[in-house]
Amino acid sequence: MLIGSVRNVTKSSWADEVGEEFDLPFETYTDENGVKTIIEYKTNDDGKKVKVTRKIKKTLITERVNKVAAERKKWAKFGDERGKKAGPDLSTTSIGEQIFLKLSTTGKLAESVEESELNKKKAALIGKKILCRICKGDHFTTKCPYKDTLQPLDELNKDLEATKEAVPANEPIAPESSTGGKYIPPGMRPGTKSTTSDSYKERRDDATIRVTNLSGDTTEADIHDLFRRFGNISRVYLARDRETNVCKGFAFVSFVLRDDAAKALQAINGYGYDNLILRVEWAKSSS
Amino acid sequence: MRPILLQGHTRSLTQIKYNYEGDLLFTVAKDQVVNVWYSHNGERLGTYHGHVGAIWTVDVNSTSSILLTGSADNTAKLWEVRTGKCLHTWEFKTAVKRVAFSEDDSMALLVTEQHMGYPGSVTIYSVKNDINAEQSDEPIKSIINQEGSKAMVAAWGYLNRYIITGHENGEISQYDWKTGDKIKSIHPHTSVITDLQMSEDRTYFITSSKDKSAQIFESNTLNPLKKYVTDAPLNSASIAPIQDFVILGGGQDAMIVTSTLMSQGKFECRFWHKILEEEVGRVKGHFGPINTIAVHPDGKSFSSGGEDGYVRVHHFDEDYFKFKYPEL
Repeated sequence: MLIGSVRNVTKSSWADEVGEEFDLPFETYTDENGVKTIIEYKTNDDGKKVKVTRKIKKTLITERVNKVAAERKKWAKFGDERGKKAGPDLSTTSIGEQIFLKLSTTGKLAESVEESELNKKKAALIGKKILCRICKGDHFTTKCPYKDTLQPLDELNKDLEATKEAVPANEPIAPESSTGGKYIPPGMRPGTKSTTSDSYKERRDDATIRVTNLSGDTTEADIHDLFRRFGNISRVYLARDRETNVCKGFAFVSFVLRDDAAKALQAINGYGYDNLILRVEWAKSSS
Repeated sequence: MRPILLQGHTRSLTQIKYNYEGDLLFTVAKDQVVNVWYSHNGERLGTYHGHVGAIWTVDVNSTSSILLTGSADNTAKLWEVRTGKCLHTWEFKTAVKRVAFSEDDSMALLVTEQHMGYPGSVTIYSVKNDINAEQSDEPIKSIINQEGSKAMVAAWGYLNRYIITGHENGEISQYDWKTGDKIKSIHPHTSVITDLQMSEDRTYFITSSKDKSAQIFESNTLNPLKKYVTDAPLNSASIAPIQDFVILGGGQDAMIVTSTLMSQGKFECRFWHKILEEEVGRVKGHFGPINTIAVHPDGKSFSSGGEDGYVRVHHFDEDYFKFKYPEL
């Protein structure tokens, strides 16, 4: 087998080579490792002299072949191959892409079973909508970008309920929830969302919170992402500089329900967002 | 490893076979041509022309002088390996689905299809290994399958003691070929047996079946020894020398391939540990079901032929030979 490594080769037309090969010096020597070096000098197309060094190493690989098999290698080709020269023909023989046979003792079977189980899980979830417990996004809770910074919503609710129980009297929501015998139309009842009263509720400032200490590159979408998990948001107002359109550092978020706003206030106040600690408070009425 | 792709066929492969030394690889396909290749570099040595139907099966004698093929044109042909000349043609009523030389090359068995009212049969002819000799047209014995499931594949037991056949319903039978009597019969597979390959010394053999499993049986007693259960219908199974592996190949039926993803087709050669019955690796490459697998007799390479018309010759990398099962 011949392993040739060619260096500094400047290609020139074979026609040029014939004339010039002999009038320029030409040297060859073989070093102790059996690497033969051929140094040639020739003139290239631009008329410049070029030194061409070629290093050739010959390695003899001996392969033992069965005698009859070796004899068969000398057989003449026949059929469709009749008269064709020795060696593989590119029209019938080609080398495929490198593939790997990874032998493992752990059992590839187990892996494929796992895979199929995963597929089953996925298939089972196709009908359902995946909902993150933390941010209500359409991904698994374990993959939530907020999983390290925010606590799951149901835990938050629990906390909230605990605080509610601790201070039941002073909560502004309390009289609403304990209505006694007084009739309240369904649309006005807490926890219900009525389509007809939406526009009315939107303008209600008591479900609006003010978020301050936002960083300059915050967008409405970020605010939506941050507060979506607490409930339906009716409006987000992000204060922007009139000229530069950069966030001025505060925003108003209106929820449909005051409960949701309270939850959001509880959770996000003091929450680190974009390297800044957010401050959330009830929006003061402009009047 | 980089496989060598042999593109000598225009239709799906039906069987591939190495000769005794493993330097030649014979491939047959549904395209009516037999190809012979040098297995070390994939160079095509020649082609054998003469069949006018799909060729189902091929076998070569141990001295690599005579080749035997069986075809859907209702003939089986003997060929001179070196020149591609057809030496003899045996004619049948139905297609020849499987041929095999006996251990001493003196005989050949031919399995014929059950078709158009003709029963399936296993016919044994004597073969003269001299290429100039006149071959006999008179069979030594013909075992006609009158009732029961037809034979799909067959092989000779050691020292030509008996013939082992694999049937369409998953049965495996052992026949005394001199008398034509059935000695033993078992029913280990639930679906058609697609391949039956003997171990080197013919004391045990491996079968593959469409029921997604491959099994190893003892030739003499037909005792089941090992079972390899996979997740795809199998078309071929082969026993590898050197390492204690069996190589299984198959995949979804060609009929439903177009309606499935390639990744789900399971068109891979699966390597299973012969003794521990555990899958150890897979070789990808074909984009259709694998129809036939053959392992080089020295165990250093193997080939697979697929429904896609390609034969892929794989020479194992160094780490294949170094691989050891820690438990052993």
